[in-house]
Amino acid sequence: MGSPCELLCEDESKSKAKTITQLVADEAWRIEDKFSRYLSGNIVEQINTAAGAPVEVDPEAARLIEFSTQLHVMSEGRFDITSGVLRQAWTFDGSDRIPSANAVSAVMQYIGWHRVNWDGASISMPPGMEIDFGGVGKEYAVDRAAGLIKEQDESPCLVNFGGDLAVTASPAKRSAWQIGIESLQGESEGPERVINLASGALATSGDARRFLEKDGVRYGHIIDPTTGWPVKDAPRSVTVAADTCVQAGMLSTLAMLEGAAAEKFLADQGVDFWCLR
Amino acid sequence: MGVEPWDRDILAKDEMQMTVDPLEAAVDDHIYFSKEASSGGRGFGGGGCGCN
Amino acid sequence: MSKKDSKKDSEKNSKQISATLAAATCALLGGVLPAPVQAEEEDKWDFNTSLLYYGEDDDRVQDLSLNLLATRNFVDDRSLTMTLALDSLTGATPSGAITQNVSQTFTRPSGSSVYTIPAGLLPLDDTFLDTRLALTATWAQPLGRLYQFSFGASASKEYDYTHLGLNARLSRDFNNRNTTLSAGLAIAADSLDPVGGTPIPFTEMLDVGNLSNRVGSEDKDVVDVVLGVTQVVSRNFLVRLNYSYSDASGYLTDPYKIISVVDGVTGDTVPRVQTPGVAGPSHIFLYENRPDSRTKHSLYAHAKYYIDGKVLDSSYRYMTDDWDINSHTIDVRLRWPTGGTTYLEPHLRFYSQTNAEFYTTSLVDGAALPTYASNDYRLGDFDALTAGLKFGWKTGGGNDMSVRLEAYQQRGTIPDGQLIGNQVGLVSYPDLDAIIAQFSYSFGK
Repeated sequence: MGSPCELLCEDESKSKAKTITQLVADEAWRIEDKFSRYLSGNIVEQINTAAGAPVEVDPEAARLIEFSTQLHVMSEGRFDITSGVLRQAWTFDGSDRIPSANAVSAVMQYIGWHRVNWDGASISMPPGMEIDFGGVGKEYAVDRAAGLIKEQDESPCLVNFGGDLAVTASPAKRSAWQIGIESLQGESEGPERVINLASGALATSGDARRFLEKDGVRYGHIIDPTTGWPVKDAPRSVTVAADTCVQAGMLSTLAMLEGAAAEKFLADQGVDFWCLR
Repeated sequence: MGVEPWDRDILAKDEMQMTVDPLEAAVDDHIYFSKEASSGGRGFGGGGCGCN
Repeated sequence: MSKKDSKKDSEKNSKQISATLAAATCALLGGVLPAPVQAEEEDKWDFNTSLLYYGEDDDRVQDLSLNLLATRNFVDDRSLTMTLALDSLTGATPSGAITQNVSQTFTRPSGSSVYTIPAGLLPLDDTFLDTRLALTATWAQPLGRLYQFSFGASASKEYDYTHLGLNARLSRDFNNRNTTLSAGLAIAADSLDPVGGTPIPFTEMLDVGNLSNRVGSEDKDVVDVVLGVTQVVSRNFLVRLNYSYSDASGYLTDPYKIISVVDGVTGDTVPRVQTPGVAGPSHIFLYENRPDSRTKHSLYAHAKYYIDGKVLDSSYRYMTDDWDINSHTIDVRLRWPTGGTTYLEPHLRFYSQTNAEFYTTSLVDGAALPTYASNDYRLGDFDALTAGLKFGWKTGGGNDMSVRLEAYQQRGTIPDGQLIGNQVGLVSYPDLDAIIAQFSYSFGK
């Protein structure tokens, strides 16, 4: 998953907690093995190396692709799972190495969901293009894990994969899980805010560590796939609360892509959110 | 006797706490401490006074 | 397209994302509808403020007080709570002397002047003017997974009284957090510095300027122990049981209270030979005397029951002490939501106490003095009733406001055999009628 994953379980029984932990870990590894761009032998590698030929996908992959399609339309192109190749032009290492306009437009040829052929069962795209579920994979795994726990057990649990989290039920004593949103100064200052989550999910998009800075201008790592460039005036971090981690994650990503209008966008959606600038 | 953790929704409500309004409870305790010979019961008084 | 139309369109588009996203997510996750999200930012600070008016009938005590409570929440369930109470007291209180068919003159506690009570009226001492400031601070935190711990300090100051106290409490959860046992200890060191000095008990009230029967300040120490158990009975029913022990030692007398010395046959207060040109008491009054220790035991039971959005809060307390005072208190409140953000809360409290063993209406001239004696009505035999109504609402900003109005009355009786001769029909327990009005406002930050 690329980040530390933890499970908090409130249960008197140690063995039950162990069972649930195994359940969550197994599901997280399953999803990572199946959908990670970095691993070989899975459906994503198959699709990315098909060189224009159509690839038939299983129902779960189909649902993810279908979801990505709908998000692409909803976001007017800002959410695009073919935008992963932008990493060839952009490396967010805190340096001042901004790619040239030529470098960016060269890569832009290989981006665009409209170039993809998806009929609901099989997918094909021009050679050189790639899909990457990184924008939704972690949140999807959190919701899947939470769902599996709820099927088996009523214990209050909190599934947290690198800051994208969901709860299965509210804990016994306090009536809500206490979640601290890390302050921008790093962990030494303590959480910037504490949120009481009784049910639902939280997801955070942020650029606290991945960024570029040149000539006093800070470039966040969320790139607008329609332009190939990072969004101007994006908040440093956006946390959204929603019914599921997938919804929270999508809304926080889309908010970042709205740049200066992030807060207005989220206010219009009627969700609870916390933006740090 | 009791409930499972996931059944504590009603118990978590503000109005179901043993002391809903600590300020009002302290104020009442003080009035009755000054006018009657008994005091406290639910906890400690916040402090004595010269009224009894 | 006009500017207004395109704005409406983009607003509509923005709003549609939530619904479409929800539908898309539902399809992705296999159609199981999750519980709606409940997220609330924790307030760093919680504030609670209130303004209270307490007023008794017949020119007796009136109190206006301002109360503030501030809690600073820290991560991991730790908190610091601070309170401040500022009281301004005015009015008069029964001095303990009994009503006579002649006018009576008394020396003020300061010894610097006199006041006269007309015939037929209950003697009230209106020197009772004071401003009081009380502060508390309490730190609370969990200890490990099942323990909760708190410790605090309290202090108060008024013109003639100082209080300093410390307290600590430890509680532990059992039985899947359905049972909580708690133990608490509080100690207090108070000192009294009465206006004019502390009168030596059972000495006479003297002329203006004569403070020869006064000594300096006096101390009082109190130790309180509370043991309790809270039990969750069912999803909507919670009960609590407390046992309290209190031990007070030191100066427990009221330095301003007196007792009339009366003729053993007529019951009339014995007149005093006054020195010409010197102002002083018209009759003989002795300063009261209470024991120097008092041990109290209380049993307190409290239940909260939730039914259909309403909460019934009821409690009973039994108190008994070694001054022979026993009391019962029954308190019932019903919180009744009226509409989405408002509620009504009727309140009824019934209180009944028996008199202290040394409670005496008057002392017979020439008879041997009892060991202790006091005619303080608060140690008498009386029943009290409080009836009130509270109305609460949530402000636009989501904060809580409330007002309450209550009537408090005490009706007492003089124990059999205490009234002598002419006192019958003239002297009675000083019944009390008071109004309590309070406005509260809570908010968080």
